[in-house]
Amino acid sequence: MIGRKELILFILKRVIFSFFVIIGTIIIIFFISHVLSKNPAALWAGPKAKASTIAYVIKEYGLNKPLYIQLLNFFEGFFTGNFGIDPVTHQPIASEIFYYFPNTIELVLTALIFIIIIGIGLGYISAVHFNSKIDDLIRLLYTTAWATPTFLASILAVLIFTSYIPILPSGGMYSPGLTPPPRITGIFVLDAILTGNFADFIDGLDHLILPAMTLAFLNFGIVTRISRNGILSVKWMPYVKNARAKGVDEKKINRYHILRNGLIESNTVIAVMFGWLVTGTVVVEEIFSWPGIGKFAYSAITSDDYPALIYVVIIFTILVIIANLIADIMYAILDPRIRLGRGTR
Amino acid sequence: MTQSDNRKGAGRLFVVVIIIVILIVAGFAAYALSHKPQTTTNKTSLVVEEGEFPDSLDPAVTFSTPGWEIMNQIYQGLVAPNGTSVTTFVGVLAYNWTISPNGMNYTFYLRHNVTFSNGDPFNAYDVWFSIYRSIIMDQSPEFILGQNLAAGNGINFNITANILNSINYTNPNSTDLYYMEYPNQSVQVVNPYEVIFHLGYGYNGYHPYNAFLMTLTTPLAAAVDPRVVEEHGGVVAGSTNSWMDTHAVGTGFYELGQVIQGQSITLVKNPNYWGNYVPKDQLNYAIQPAILNTITIEYKSLASRIADLKSGTAQIIEAPVQDYNTLKTIPNVNVSLLPIIFGSSQGAYFVYMDPVAFPAFNNTSVREAITYAINYAGIIKTVFDGYAVQWIGPIPPGFPYYNQSIGNLTPYSYNPALAAKYLAQAGYRAIFPNGTVVNRNNPFPSVNFLYTSDSTSETEAAQIIQSNLAAIGINITLTPLTFPAYEQVVFAPGNETTQYPMGINFYTEDFTASIDYVDAIADGYYIGTSAYYNNSVFNASVNASATFNQTAIIQNFSFITHTMYYQYAIDWLYTPYILSITASDVTGIIPNPAGSGAGYFMFYNTVHYT
Repeated sequence: MIGRKELILFILKRVIFSFFVIIGTIIIIFFISHVLSKNPAALWAGPKAKASTIAYVIKEYGLNKPLYIQLLNFFEGFFTGNFGIDPVTHQPIASEIFYYFPNTIELVLTALIFIIIIGIGLGYISAVHFNSKIDDLIRLLYTTAWATPTFLASILAVLIFTSYIPILPSGGMYSPGLTPPPRITGIFVLDAILTGNFADFIDGLDHLILPAMTLAFLNFGIVTRISRNGILSVKWMPYVKNARAKGVDEKKINRYHILRNGLIESNTVIAVMFGWLVTGTVVVEEIFSWPGIGKFAYSAITSDDYPALIYVVIIFTILVIIANLIADIMYAILDPRIRLGRGTR
Repeated sequence: MTQSDNRKGAGRLFVVVIIIVILIVAGFAAYALSHKPQTTTNKTSLVVEEGEFPDSLDPAVTFSTPGWEIMNQIYQGLVAPNGTSVTTFVGVLAYNWTISPNGMNYTFYLRHNVTFSNGDPFNAYDVWFSIYRSIIMDQSPEFILGQNLAAGNGINFNITANILNSINYTNPNSTDLYYMEYPNQSVQVVNPYEVIFHLGYGYNGYHPYNAFLMTLTTPLAAAVDPRVVEEHGGVVAGSTNSWMDTHAVGTGFYELGQVIQGQSITLVKNPNYWGNYVPKDQLNYAIQPAILNTITIEYKSLASRIADLKSGTAQIIEAPVQDYNTLKTIPNVNVSLLPIIFGSSQGAYFVYMDPVAFPAFNNTSVREAITYAINYAGIIKTVFDGYAVQWIGPIPPGFPYYNQSIGNLTPYSYNPALAAKYLAQAGYRAIFPNGTVVNRNNPFPSVNFLYTSDSTSETEAAQIIQSNLAAIGINITLTPLTFPAYEQVVFAPGNETTQYPMGINFYTEDFTASIDYVDAIADGYYIGTSAYYNNSVFNASVNASATFNQTAIIQNFSFITHTMYYQYAIDWLYTPYILSITASDVTGIIPNPAGSGAGYFMFYNTVHYT
């Protein structure tokens, strides 16, 4: 196994590297958004706003200052936790992020659970039935799912499960009129569990199932494919044959020799996929009226609300970095040959 | 064990996975079936589904249909449109009013015993505060009041945010009363139940304004509780109030229930509604207590809205007219095309050409060529399945004075041969329908064509126009923008349009009056007006707004309409119909183009089930 000191050093290096990635991302997104948005004050002041109102907005957001000063002001706000007021919604950006972000986490984590169950399960079956009709069928299924545009899958899901077979709500995070549980984590179903509110929990799940299943349907394919390939790559390895020859129980071979080694890549992909899903929820959240960070991002993009958009991008960046970091750590732990950039010998 | 054992294991796993998935789905299905979406069996609540979440819940800030829809249920103004009329009014917080003979002073007599939903009493001080608050906050819709009213009189009196915040509105002292009762200002309190609006201080100058009452029906003029505002940050000049953006305390028949940000807003019947105590014979539709206990407005995708209408989860939805034929097939749903005035109030579309930004447009023959090259009927048929009308502006179809102002004019026609002839006449390369090409060596310079990519109908129309113009030899480059960016180009006065000298523009009402459209489209406020805008048009516009003489109004509007028509600088395209879509047992809706309820009615208080 990897040594503790090596692991700490490894994580430390990654964290320092990640910090610079975040700073770089902020600078890039800051400049891109300022270049693309030619007259943000007019946009933020609203249609038909008078010159005096636009002038107020310019002053309020320091848009009359040189760009580097604006950037420095932004960093000052960022590092002091003062994210400022959203120029479009007029609400504190921090409170908006704290409201929308956990909702997306709820959606993504649920989708990830489906992805793990379906993706790895089907990958294993596909590998075992390599080159059979079952294998073909599974490959056809995940290729189709992977190739389906998000908007199409989402709309079809709405039509099928809320119109033709009306068994699930068509959108939203919970039923209007329901008293939400006290906010502990911000994740609705989790807060419902923590506060022992079963009705809220069921209602939350009821709303969660369709968008989460849609997200899972669109993304399980990559896990299935990598699991299948991983298992196939170790299935005929000499140590597996050796174990078999030694008369090791087939279940043990499957569990300890094939699955453990064959699913290393799947584990890392799942970790990376978390960040990937969070950043990819924009369309699903829009169609399912899920009040998450993706919907918020969409709204920020379409209204040139770059003060909010920058923070959304920072959140996305941090998540992707953390997901990759976790993947690297898992990889290093699960496959000691690869850790710390030494590679195989 | 061998490979076959392995396969058996995998087979078992396959079965397990399938069973788990089936169990999960079946579990939820069973639960969902046992908690089937509520249909209209619950006759005390209504679910309305729309597309866009309100921009703000502050009546001085919101400038969108979803925002105004909520405002009209929670807040109330002095007057409201009279039922379906757009020219007559009923009293809401005022029980009566008079207009001075010169049209410059409106005196309102306020109802007694009106309270806000928190129990605070309402009187003339609150009206004074609310109007000045909207003006001093100076947000997007402020111009609706700012045309005729201002915080200062330009000489010796000016109301500031500090003054608004310093006054005790419950027990005003002599200084407070000095401000509120000062006669030479826009809003003068006479006594706690009488208030006078003096016109002439706004940017319109010292003129009467015949649409003034309609401007007072907007949320901008609604009564806001000054005590609530002062408790939550007060008034800041030029700025919004973040508390007021998300909370609402009004005098209306509904109060704000639950807000699930980005998802839904629930309105609940105001238990303290003052209208409950008004004798029935003194009630009108705008003040009668609400019938339904709750109105839940959910903001969903179009697919979800239609699905929920089918399943009975929603009783009223918004959907574009392109879905008319689909919606008609849903059982137990009433779908109808509203009269065209409703479509006009949401949007009347045209192609603009800006001669300042693109010198070739200075040539009238070029503009005529473009006008005759566009297949208007083809656009309406292709883009809207025929559910739109071609129009002649600037007054949109169905609005007062539309028919009189256009007189004998007929909408522009599609005539490619005539279009090519005009283009050739202007000296440019022109392609005739029979293939003849003239002026081969002088092609028309390519020009950017603006539209918003957020609108599928505008996108389709732009593509058809591109094809139409290419057929006579004019190449346009489609340059779409997202709606907010597009809005900044087409609505911003004096905006730089060199990059977008041509494109699809539209106008949607700010308040339901023909002059609102005329002011915006004809009065130099828009881009591309230089071809027809002059002192005569400006004066006609002012005269049309400043007189109560119907003949004079029609003459002025007619003059503007004809002037614009023969300049061919604006090609009037289409006004789409809008739909009324309700469950068949929903009744009591009183449609009015000034209303924002589901896009076409003012108030939910009259809505109920059969």
